[in-house]
Amino acid sequence: MATPHEDWMLPAGVADVLPPEAEALERLRGTLLALYRSWGYQLVITPMVEYLETLLTGVGQDLDLQTFKLTDQLNGRLMGVRADMTPQVARIDAHHLHGEAVRRLCYVGTVLHTRPDAFGGSRCPLQMGAELYGHGGCESDLEVLELMLESLRVAGVVDVHLALGHSGILRATLDAAGIPPPVRPLLLDILQRKASPDLASFLSAHAVSAEGGGLLRALLELHGEPDVLPLAAEQLAEMPAAAGPLQELRWLVAQLRERWPAVALHVDLAETRGYGYHGGLVFAAFQHGQGREIARGGRYRMGGLQQARPATGFTADIKTLLLASEPRVPAPAPHTVLAPATQDAALRDYVERLRREGHCVVTALPGAASPPAAAIIEPDGQGGWHMRHCEDEKE
Amino acid sequence: MSRPLTLALSKGRILDETLPLLAAAGVVPAEDPRASRRLIIEDMAGECRFVIIRAADVPTYVAYGAADLGIAGRDVLMEHGGAGLYEPLDLGIARCRMVVAATVPVPAPRRRLRVATKYPAITYRHYAARSEQVEIIKLYGSMELAPLVGLADRIVDLVDTGRTLRANGLEAIEPVAEISARLVVNRAAMKIRHAAIRTLLIRLQAQVAEAGA
Repeated sequence: MATPHEDWMLPAGVADVLPPEAEALERLRGTLLALYRSWGYQLVITPMVEYLETLLTGVGQDLDLQTFKLTDQLNGRLMGVRADMTPQVARIDAHHLHGEAVRRLCYVGTVLHTRPDAFGGSRCPLQMGAELYGHGGCESDLEVLELMLESLRVAGVVDVHLALGHSGILRATLDAAGIPPPVRPLLLDILQRKASPDLASFLSAHAVSAEGGGLLRALLELHGEPDVLPLAAEQLAEMPAAAGPLQELRWLVAQLRERWPAVALHVDLAETRGYGYHGGLVFAAFQHGQGREIARGGRYRMGGLQQARPATGFTADIKTLLLASEPRVPAPAPHTVLAPATQDAALRDYVERLRREGHCVVTALPGAASPPAAAIIEPDGQGGWHMRHCEDEKE
Repeated sequence: MSRPLTLALSKGRILDETLPLLAAAGVVPAEDPRASRRLIIEDMAGECRFVIIRAADVPTYVAYGAADLGIAGRDVLMEHGGAGLYEPLDLGIARCRMVVAATVPVPAPRRRLRVATKYPAITYRHYAARSEQVEIIKLYGSMELAPLVGLADRIVDLVDTGRTLRANGLEAIEPVAEISARLVVNRAAMKIRHAAIRTLLIRLQAQVAEAGA
């Protein structure tokens, strides 16, 4: 039995956003959407729930576990509450919007996770992102990467570190080392934890060849400033399949260094995030003081969709961005004007005009304490109304 | 960017065996953490600071980025999941074994096996890997008592010399894992503080290799 006090508790990982944070969050949302519009990204609004078959097509088990499921009482089919909007947007591109043209879409909305995120414990991030479909080259990777950096900039997030990886290199290494698919998840887990002690025992337990082992050990150490790229080209020279991805990374690094000199770059060739889902470049933004990434993205191909096209995009939680942003000058509180509760046509017209002009006009309800106001509406002595500024009553 | 690296350590055997290793790598606390009651201790060179916490809390501090690095036993990492952490180096210290132990002679279980342990997740995985369904009883200490008073048929626990087991008429009957302490690194810190962490890592690696040789 919940005590009366507990009745008011929200579920774990679910929170209200109160003034003035709600206002700041909404403003940031508007700023970001305006940014995407100016880059040619069209807004789509995806449903809160859909059938599991479409919601979880071609996505990993992690997302399946993060998805709340419920039964559609109309036909008994299982529905999922969206835990990630990216697959929904990919579905829209593949099934609703036709044509082979390059398409740029953006989205924003609350998603729901079954388990609280280990950091901060939120189960309902406000997810925002942009996706570019129908282009397979690294120019589109650069475009979404720059749009992510620009999003962080307009959100006031400074001191950004950008980590780059490429699942093509990882895949080429696993292939070259002859790692059979059934044991790949085990190896990916080891690589994800950069657990060199476990890699050593894996290599001997699965009789990986000396050359294969050498490649995997090299991969595990290939992270750091972008000068690991020439080193990688040397150490992975035996693998022709890695040359293209390495070339792409070098090109991106050169472009980013020129256009975003303030952003610190980091390359990690053993990054396994989205190995099954991302088919190329992966990237993530980090910031001092935040224990993990604040935005991430990459190239992917949604399995299972009939008309899946090459896709690249990024995503972030706007609530996280707001926390990571510099404490900026708060937006000026709206200029509150207090109106008397008098029923008068001229007063009504005057109030309406002020509100159209952008003033916040609040009626002083009889018997209630008046809120602090910057100005008061008074009779002007000639049958009309005017505004008197309260100089000394400023907050 | 001259903020010191924060290193999470736990008191006890790990701390006793880590300090000489760190000292050899050139990192010396300004005061002895074993004697001090302070929870944050700077190092002599001002490159690092130590936070002294409970062993089981090390992964949490490091995962959240409250500490950039930490030293944690593999038992703790396996139990709490090293998710979100890098484990680049085994320090080869605080070595012990995790085993299944039972009273000798090992009684044949008459029903579903009951296993008492401080490590329910590891125990579950150990038996699940052999498709064996067991009942797990989570205890916080004195595991050896459980089989003696009929609370459990087996225990899963850390064993160093095995003296406590023998003194209570128990014997290790199956290995579960080899345990030693590992250096863990926060994922964001590995990127943002890469140069500093890499330097420390290489120095420690050299010490570990030397100690192992």
